[in-house]
Amino acid sequence: MDRKVSRNIAHIVPSLLLFVALALPFLLLILQWLTSSNKMTLFSFFNGPNLQLIGKSLLISIIAAMLSTFIGSICGFLLYKFKFPFSGFYKLMLLLPLLISPYIFAVAWKDGFFWLFGNAATVYSEAGVIMVHTFVFFPFAMLITGSALSQIHSGYEEAGLMIGSFRRMVISIIFPLIRPAITISFLLILIFSLSDFSVPAFFGVRTFTTEIFTQFSALYNFSLALGQSVLLLVICFLLLLAEARYLSDAPFFSVSVKGSISKKYDTGKRKILVHSILWALLIIVLLIPVFILIVQSLSGRAFFFSQALEFMFPAILQSIKLAFAGALLTTAVGLWTASEKERRGRKFPNFLLLLTFIVPSTVMGIALIRYYNLPALHFIYGTSLILLIAYLGKFGFITSRIIGNGIKQIPVSFEEAASVMGIPSNKIFLKISLPLMIPSLFTAFVLAFILCLGELGATMMVYPPGMELMPIKTFTISANAPEALTSSMTLVNLGVTVVLIMLFFIAGKWIFNKFQYA
Amino acid sequence: MPKIILEHITHHYGKKEVLRDISFSFEEGLTTCLIGPSGCGKTTILRLIAGLEKPSGGVVKINGTIVSENGVIRVLPHHRKIGFIFQDLALWPHFTVYDNIAFGLKEKRERNIKAKVFELLDLFEINDKAREYPHQLSGGQKQMVAIARSLVLQPEILLMDEPLANIDTHLKGNILRHLKNIQQQQGFTMLHVTHDHHEAMTTGDYMLIMNIGKIEVSGSKEEIENSSSQFVKSFLNT
Repeated sequence: MDRKVSRNIAHIVPSLLLFVALALPFLLLILQWLTSSNKMTLFSFFNGPNLQLIGKSLLISIIAAMLSTFIGSICGFLLYKFKFPFSGFYKLMLLLPLLISPYIFAVAWKDGFFWLFGNAATVYSEAGVIMVHTFVFFPFAMLITGSALSQIHSGYEEAGLMIGSFRRMVISIIFPLIRPAITISFLLILIFSLSDFSVPAFFGVRTFTTEIFTQFSALYNFSLALGQSVLLLVICFLLLLAEARYLSDAPFFSVSVKGSISKKYDTGKRKILVHSILWALLIIVLLIPVFILIVQSLSGRAFFFSQALEFMFPAILQSIKLAFAGALLTTAVGLWTASEKERRGRKFPNFLLLLTFIVPSTVMGIALIRYYNLPALHFIYGTSLILLIAYLGKFGFITSRIIGNGIKQIPVSFEEAASVMGIPSNKIFLKISLPLMIPSLFTAFVLAFILCLGELGATMMVYPPGMELMPIKTFTISANAPEALTSSMTLVNLGVTVVLIMLFFIAGKWIFNKFQYA
Repeated sequence: MPKIILEHITHHYGKKEVLRDISFSFEEGLTTCLIGPSGCGKTTILRLIAGLEKPSGGVVKINGTIVSENGVIRVLPHHRKIGFIFQDLALWPHFTVYDNIAFGLKEKRERNIKAKVFELLDLFEINDKAREYPHQLSGGQKQMVAIARSLVLQPEILLMDEPLANIDTHLKGNILRHLKNIQQQQGFTMLHVTHDHHEAMTTGDYMLIMNIGKIEVSGSKEEIENSSSQFVKSFLNT
């Protein structure tokens, strides 16, 4: 009985803490809006300009999500269903846009359009936002469909090939089996696109997230920002409800065990076509933006580059420190929530992370400001703790899912075998489960680190005074500084991110070799 | 005296009833084979005896002591002096063969760990594999490591959940012969779940044939062979 009580306390106390720190700010935000003396009712929100803005934001995100899902699914199909040289290289390179903050690409494409056409007016538009979102988010669809394709048992396909052509088998067998993955991809990208603040803000496109930011931070119209936030929350929750069943068990970013049950095909005569498609994509989504940034930063203006380095140096160190702390926190909380869900069937903590994951960054910023901006909570609001909470809310669900997928791959019998021998549960966790989770823990940590490093929307709203962070520094300076300086700072930012990704990649190779057991 | 007694055991997974009013006694020092078609509840019986699951209803007794009853576990798995060989063997992939076997001994702070581990490795003729990892072993070697691991703490009861399902007859015969010898030396009670009635007939002192959550018939090999039950006849002929 004592064990049961202590186990329940060990679950309830952290759950409560997570609820109070993360979910309560949003509930209070809604409550505050409902009880505000200056409130705008939900009905009064449905006026022409607001509906138009919601419609525009949704349209941008839906188009970006459709395009990204289409491109990503094709890439996933080519990379995970066919065997050809350098497929690993393509996988890694095409993943990079997802790991680099979207605003870096916004800066690059602005420079690119300026460079190519003499002005950047075309890209300062809804089409520009759609283009950048598509190029940045398609790797999500690539990973998710790729993961689903890897899990299709070869027998299903071989049985299909016995009775029909390859094309027929793809349409009738493979496509229906990966349809849930395609749906998840679309939904995730839709949420990410709808939530993104940086790209529309950079291109000066009015969307719901930028409008909330403007109303809150520039025009100080808190009640309108509050109302708009609640409306955006409602839209996100509706999206969540529509797909909660799929999303809560999303197979994305699973760190798979060695060997695959799925069948891979030879590209045959189409090898050149496959390479051409992948190279074309690689050039458009990664190489052109990076090349343009380099050209813009370095062409005869070394002064700007050295100035950018000088400006960015303190921000780089602080950003890395903060991203490290954020990744550590999200990985630790992700480990706990994933263990609770996968081993004890307690889904509530994971659900809390899912709720905050779908909340757009600017709405999260407002909720956290309204909740934590109290003298008694200054130790959180006035310090980097507020950023760590924001990171946990934004990325905790992703780490939880990665670790959860890792836990699912550890047979329960491993733990039961130790339990029958009388090994205490804490030792079972430390000596049996934890070592087997290292690859997924590492992946979760790396992804959280990179995402924390590039987060802009929520960071922009809650970062404490005096703190210098890479995305903030680049974004704020872009309004007044010469374009070449902005490009140089973005290049420094990109360089730091890529170097860190490469370091993690090297560390990852070692970790996966050492800790993944066939 | 019976080593294990099951009294009016019922068990559910959600709404599905998997065991229906099972009562049975397992005699000390003997091997009882539980056979029956897939999903008839054989593994569940082992898991209830091991304490890995609580019975929805009924009582499980070991050495005359109630260890589980009506949804409550009275004695934790590791206090039941049980060795369990899982269907998937559950060899810890990040431990070497030696560490897999020694882990329980180390945790119990036993003496002469090395000697005890190598005694078992010698017995199963796999002492040259001590420093290898499970993925470096053949199927038969893995099974021997799993058996060695379950025996190292000298259990009074050995529960085997179809660990020999995927190996050839010759190797299976060898492993079972080893096990029988050890059982004769140590005197533990063995419950062996299997699909294969030929295997059951050669290793079991006693048989328990199950069908859809209940015991269809039980008895010695001769009694089973002479059973008039249509189910038993058709099952043994398949």
